Formats: sequence, structure tokens, C-alpha cells
Amino acid sequence: MTQLSPTHAAARVSRSGRARVRTLGSRTLILIALLLLLLVLSALSLVAGSRVTSVSEVWQALSGTGNPHLQLVVTERIPRTIIGAVVGASLAVAGVIVQGITRNPLGDPGLLGVSVGASAAVVTATAITGTAIGAGTVWVALAGALATVVLVVLVAGRPTAGGIVPLLLAGAVVSAVLGTYIQAMILTRPAVFDSFRFWVIGSLSGRRLETLAEVAPALILGLVLALILASGLNALALGDDMAHSLGVSVPRVRAGGLLAAALLCAGATALVGPIAFIGLAVPHIVRALVGTDHRWQIPAAILLGASVLIAADIVGRIIARPGELMVGVVTAFVGAPFLLIAVRAGRAVRG
Amino acid sequence: MTPTPPGLRAHQLRVGYGSRTVLSDLSVTLPTGAFTAIIGPNGCGKSTLLKSLGRAIVPRAGAVTLDGTDLASLRPKVIARRLALLPQDPIAPDTIRVRDLVARGRHPYHSLLRQWAPGDTEAVDRALAETGVTHLADRFVSELSGGQRQRAWVALVLAQDTDYVLLDEPTSFLDISHQIDLLHRCQDMRSAGKTVVAVLHDLNQAARYADHLVVMHEGAIVAEGTPADVLSADLVREVFALPAEITIDPQSGSPLIVPLARV
Amino acid sequence: MSAAPHLESPVAAAAPALAGRRAPRLFRIGPGIALPVHPRALIWSGIVLVGLIVAAVLTLSMGKLGIAPQSLPAALFDPPRGAAGFTLTTLRGPRLLVAIGVGAALGISGALFQIVTRNPLGSPDVIGLGAGAGAGVAICGLLWPGVLPTPAGALLGAMLAITIVYLSTGRGFAAPARIIIAGIGVSAMAHAVTQYVVSVKLRDEASQLAGYLAGSINSVGWGAVGIIAITLALCLPAAWALSPSLNQIALGDSLAHSLGIRVTATRTAAIIVAVVAAAGAVTVAGPISFVALTAPQIAQRLTRSPALSLGLSALLGALILVVADLLAQQAPWARGLPVGILTAGVGGIYLGALLIREWRKGRL
Repeated sequence: MTQLSPTHAAARVSRSGRARVRTLGSRTLILIALLLLLLVLSALSLVAGSRVTSVSEVWQALSGTGNPHLQLVVTERIPRTIIGAVVGASLAVAGVIVQGITRNPLGDPGLLGVSVGASAAVVTATAITGTAIGAGTVWVALAGALATVVLVVLVAGRPTAGGIVPLLLAGAVVSAVLGTYIQAMILTRPAVFDSFRFWVIGSLSGRRLETLAEVAPALILGLVLALILASGLNALALGDDMAHSLGVSVPRVRAGGLLAAALLCAGATALVGPIAFIGLAVPHIVRALVGTDHRWQIPAAILLGASVLIAADIVGRIIARPGELMVGVVTAFVGAPFLLIAVRAGRAVRG
Repeated sequence: MTPTPPGLRAHQLRVGYGSRTVLSDLSVTLPTGAFTAIIGPNGCGKSTLLKSLGRAIVPRAGAVTLDGTDLASLRPKVIARRLALLPQDPIAPDTIRVRDLVARGRHPYHSLLRQWAPGDTEAVDRALAETGVTHLADRFVSELSGGQRQRAWVALVLAQDTDYVLLDEPTSFLDISHQIDLLHRCQDMRSAGKTVVAVLHDLNQAARYADHLVVMHEGAIVAEGTPADVLSADLVREVFALPAEITIDPQSGSPLIVPLARV
Repeated sequence: MSAAPHLESPVAAAAPALAGRRAPRLFRIGPGIALPVHPRALIWSGIVLVGLIVAAVLTLSMGKLGIAPQSLPAALFDPPRGAAGFTLTTLRGPRLLVAIGVGAALGISGALFQIVTRNPLGSPDVIGLGAGAGAGVAICGLLWPGVLPTPAGALLGAMLAITIVYLSTGRGFAAPARIIIAGIGVSAMAHAVTQYVVSVKLRDEASQLAGYLAGSINSVGWGAVGIIAITLALCLPAAWALSPSLNQIALGDSLAHSLGIRVTATRTAAIIVAVVAAAGAVTVAGPISFVALTAPQIAQRLTRSPALSLGLSALLGALILVVADLLAQQAPWARGLPVGILTAGVGGIYLGALLIREWRKGRL
């Protein structure tokens, strides 16, 4: 038996043959390239917009000289870019984690009921206080999102009993019921509807850095947790039994992963409203770039998620000039075709 | 096409999935009234050949003929009255009972306005009895053990009442006594006059229970004939990459493959 | 060897025959027609039909403008003048007929989708039909008003969504799992379009649209009755003709093929019929969710049979929608809500119960 084990190991390696062998060097290069991409897009985000500016104008504005009105425009774009980067990165990392713990390439933080929970809480708060969506919204959304995730977990029951499937199902059910509630509320209360309809499409316009500071603890906690869990997720990718025999506590990795994904996604949603598909699509691209190792996937997802969201925001600002298209609409239109191509290529589902 | 003798034959078949060609220019005649086993290493195209013979896969070129008629020219229901294929992974609908499942095998004899044909009840009862599941007729399929469930599927194929029965790896996932039981059923069907073709994994089971072997390797047929004629140490080494000695099965006198001890 | 005990040895002789105990009852006309009859399905169809009639009578007779039940039969054959006649022929009559027709069409559509996709969650909503219709309405009704009538927009949107799903599976409608996932993607895009339109429009217009998007039959006329009647006249016979083959497809594609079914052709035809039925419904009532999902599921549980029960699904769909619409008209807490909200609320809870039951049984 002991003599047989090398062949056994060889069989295992060849079975996971799609995992391309990547040297440390090439992955580092990819991360550096992603970082450069992010920097370029961030710079572009300061320049591009419904009001066109040139690089020199931006530079003048940043250094405090030049047209004061333009200066206002450019300084408004700085928090927008930062928040965009943070939100994109958070959603992408949450996506990596959810796909890791569900071992399902269609895993998306939205499946846990995060966005619908945040929406339901915002609608309720608006209906009760009567005020338009304002300062406290971020807390309401965060609380609603986290409470919904807890509810989904409770409905799903013991996480070990049926693997991860009950969790996904419970997410679908809670989403359906809360979705109905939201509909009924906005249809019977026109004022709620009026403020909600803008919030419900994720948008980066008019978001302030102070709001980012409010949710920062949740995001940082989620990110730290994600980094801690990365090697556990690698073991989980081999199946529950295998992970167990490798000494990984499967329920603990799952629970920790859920918490991390919920914090990241809830924080992001609270900041800018629901944004679809970043959490679904970015992990796929990341996997193609750096392979299956979660310790590499997470930093790559941070850089790529930030880049994709900023890029979507730039596109939204350019194509709908002089107005702008909300970034949530753009990501749906970029992300959904990505999903369709994955389906067509047969990668999203077997059979 | 040249005039063809009776039976199930493949003529210069080419079959593939996507850009991959699995079988090319493959011709074979299956002996009528015999139990034929198709054997070969994993990925050699055994199941693909079986499915092509049963028209579950449409070949890219070539033809499958039944008593000289090209199957492609026949209506699916007409084929289904002569040739049954039990796939590897049939699906039992929720809340279906064994008798209802077996009765689904009668579909080729029905039409839109005649959804129950004379002889249905007899055929279903006979199939249940022949596979020994009569006492399970009113149980839900989902309650059965693996061996019982496989017999229910075989009963469905029997109820279809065809001259030709094709079985795709019918013994997988069964424990050893149920495997042997299923091979006995195949012999029984053969004795009842049917032509039985099965894809089998276990060489010794194929050698012992089948009348005729078709050995495949990399999409081509490398040998066919009776087990005693076909199975040799050279063939097993070349096709299955297994150094082995061929001895005689003390029970049946058929060839028995014994892997060599490691040196 | 598995640990589960086998009840009998594999070589046991056949047990005493229980032959013929469960042979089906047949409905025969001459030698040419013999159709199996399922007593449970018949009995339940009768019960649901009675429920539907009661709900219909209540719909016509409740409230200030209602016609007293005892004068209803006469009123149906000879519509009275004045307020009662107005109620019957303009206000509630068409609305009731549309509720019945739309519910039936959705019931048929859902039954076909579920058997074709072998998935209890298969429904026209899942593959993006409702979301596509919503986007079509948003564009035709709000963004470019006057170019096309709103129902035409709904139909076009639904058809566009289905076409994208069809193209993006790579295998047409032959791959059920891919259809569902492609549907998720197309739905997301369609929702994004709708939300964008809602966000750029004035509040009142957007609010009106939101009502339609939930599915509503508040102001339908005889034209809508005509559309849904034609839809049913096309789809019911087609679905019935397909149903024996569809029952065989439930055994898996390979086995169905071996039993003489043209699997791909049958599946494509069934999806086309299902799409036409759902498109007819969406054209007159907007995207009403969950009826197509729940009606066939309830039907299957009532008949306790794995076979497709089209008639009962259609009747149950009609009953659900008529009762929901009755609530929308008469219940104080529900007044003013579009009927689609009520079906979604009930359906969502039902869906939850269904899913939880499925995985407790360990089947998902």
C-alpha cells in the first residue's frame, strides 16, 4: 500500500490537470500587471466623465490651481473612485469566498440574500421614518444585510447536514419572500418608492468618504477573515471529506467564510446599493489568471474587482453623456453576457 | 448499400463529440441470438459504440442496419419495438411506483389516442415476474435498493418486448451477488431468443457469461469472437496494459484472467 | 457490499403474482381510442372546478357593485342594463375571464417547463420571460411612449429574452440546466433595463409602471379576453398531444430515445408551447410570478402521480389567480395591490416550504 501511494498521488495530480502549473514569478507578474491596471483606471476615472477634462486640467485642479469649478468636479471624483475601488474589491473577494465554500462556480454573495436584505431594511426604514434615504441608511442597510444572512443560515439549519445546498435554497426562498415585501411596500407608498428606486440600482455618484469610514470596520474585518481562511478554502476545494482528513475543520471554514462574505458584501451594498455580477464574474477571471490557489486569488480579486468596478463607472459616465448610467446597470450588462458565454462554453454547468 | 444479412450491424461508423472523434470507420456485426459483451479499457469508445447501435447517438458517417434496413430510415417508435437500450443513468421520476415504471416500457406500442395497448398488462406482469420484482410492484422506485432498482429497469426493457436488448454498463454500482444475478438475467434473455449486447467492465465476468466478445481499444475493434478464441495473454497486455496469465475457470471452463504477481 | 439489508436474496424466485391489481382504468371509444384515466386526477379536477366556480361567483357578486348570486344565471344570458350590466360586461366580467385564462395558461406553461427541465423550479419566470416582458413594458410604456402599444412591448421583450437564452445555451433548448442559468443572466440584464428606466422617469409614471411590473389585471377589456382565449386554444391541444412523450422524457434522454421518443424535437416543441402560453399571459396581465411555479407542483402532490397533469395544473392556476384577484378587489388589506404581488407572496412562502422539504428528503 505504501509503495502504491506515489502512483495514487500522480493520479490525483493528473485528474486536477486543468490547474495550470504556475511559478511564483508569473503570478507575481500578474499581480503587478493588475496593480498597474488599477492605477491607470483610477487616473482615468479622475479625468473621464460627463464633463471632459484633460490630464493637465486634472493636475492643475489637484495642485490647487486652475479653474475653481473644475477643481470641484475633480475633487468630487476622488471619493467616487476610492469608494468604487473599495466596493469592487469587497464584492470580488466575497465572490471568491462564496464560490470557494459552495464549490459552485455560480456562487454569488447575492445568493445569501445580502442585497435583498439590505433593500428590505432600507425600504422599511424609509417607510417608518418617512425621511428620504440619507445619513443613517448605511447602518440600516448593513444591519438588514447581516440579519438576512443570519436568517438564511437559520432557515438552512445545521450546515453539515446537507452540505451547502440548503444554504443556497434558503437564500433563494428568503430572497423571494423579502422581494415580495419590498414590492408591496413601494407600491403602496409612493414616497418610499421614489427614494428607493434610486438607491436600488447601485451608483457611485454622490457617495462620500465619511460613509466609507463608517463601514470600514466591517470591510476590514471581512477581508482579514478572508485572508485567514484562504488555505482552508484550498483544502475545501477537494471535497468535505478530503478537507477533513487534511485536518481542516469544515464547519468552521464554512461559517467563517459566510461571515467574511456577509461582512464584505453587506458593507459594499450599504455604501452604494446593490451591484450585480462583480461577485460572480471576477472570481472566474481571477481563477483563469492565477489558478486555483485561494491565497493568490484573494489579492488578485482585490485588484481586479476594484478595476472592473471603476471601469464600469467610467463607462457609465461616458456613454450616457451628459447624464450618467448607474454603475449597477453597467455591471449587469457587462456581467450577464459573461455568464452567458460561460454557459455556452459549458463551463458553468456540466451536461 | 450491399445486401446485408440479418441482425444488427454497424457499417463504417464515424462518431464524435464536438471536435473529438471517438470511433472512425468502425464496422461490426453482432451475432443474432447471442449474448455479446463489449469490453475494453476506459475511454476506448465502448459506450459510444453501444449508444450508436441503439441510435442514442447519431453517427457522423456510416450506418447501423437492422436486418438490412438502415435505422436512420425508420421511425423512432418502429425502432423502439425492435431494439431497447438501457442507458447507464436512467432517471426514475419522483413518486413513481415500480409497476408504473415498468409500464413506461410499453410506450412504443401506444399512440396519441391509444395510450394502452392490448397485451400491456401481460407484458408488464411477465417482465416483473422474469426479473423477480413482482412483489415490489407497488413500491416506490425511490425506496428500492440498488440491486432491486436495476432489476426494475431491466424489467422496463423486457416490457418493451424487443428482439434486441442493449445494456450500458448494467453491473456498475451493484454488489457482487447482484452483478452475477444481472448477468444471469442477460443469459436468460438470450435463452429466450433475444440478442443481448452489454458493455461490461469486468473481463472475467464477460469471459464467463457472454457468448461473444467485442474487444475495443482506442476507438477501434481489435478482436472479436468467443471468449476462448479472443482472450490471450498478449491481448490483455496490449489492450489493458496488464501482464496476466490466462487459465481455465474451474466452474465453467471459460478463460480466466489472472494478473501476474509483481516481480 | 452495502450496509443496507436486502429484503430478498437476488436469486429468490418470483413472489406470488399480484398481477393486474393496478392495471389502469381506461376511457374507451370504439377500438381506436383508449386513454388511461387517473381517478385521483379526475376527482381533484372536479373539486378544483367547483372551487373555481365558487370563486367566480364571489368575484361577480361581492361588494357594492356585485350582482346577487341568485340573479347571476339570468344576468349571464341576458345582461341587465344599468350598473349591474356595467359590472358584468365591462368591470368584472372580462377581468374574471382574464384571470381564469391567464391562470390556466400559466399553469400549463409551468407544467411543461417543469417536466422538460426535470426541475421543480423550472418555470417561465426562471428563464427570464417575465423579466424580459417587464423590460419591454418599461421601454415601450415609459422610455419611448407611443411607438408600440404596451402589450406588444411585453411580448417583444419576452421573446427577445427567450431568444437570447436559446442562443446562449449553445444547444438550443436541449440542455435544461443551461437554460436555467442562462435565464438567470438574461433576467438580470432585463431587470437592469427596467430599473434604469424607472430611475430616470418621473415618480408617478414610474410608480404606475411598477404596478404593471408586478402583474395586474385591474383594467382589462374584451380584447384581452380574446388574446388569452386564442392562446389557450393553441396551447391546450398542443400540450396535450405532447404529454405522453414528455412523460417518457422524465426517464432520462437516452432511455426516452430508446423508447422511440424524438427527444430534442419533443423538448423544443414543449418549450415553444410553454413560451407561447406564458407570452399570452404576460401580454394581457404583465409578469405574474409564481403561478406557473406553484400550480403544477400542487397538481402533482394532489394526484400523487409522476405523470404530467395538464388539466389539473390549468384549473389550479386559474383558481389561484381568481382567488388572488378576489382578494385584491375585496380584502381591505390587499386593496389596490396588483394581483401579482399576492401570487408572489403566497408563492414565495410555498416555494420555501417546497425547497426545505426537498432537501430534507435529501433529493437536491
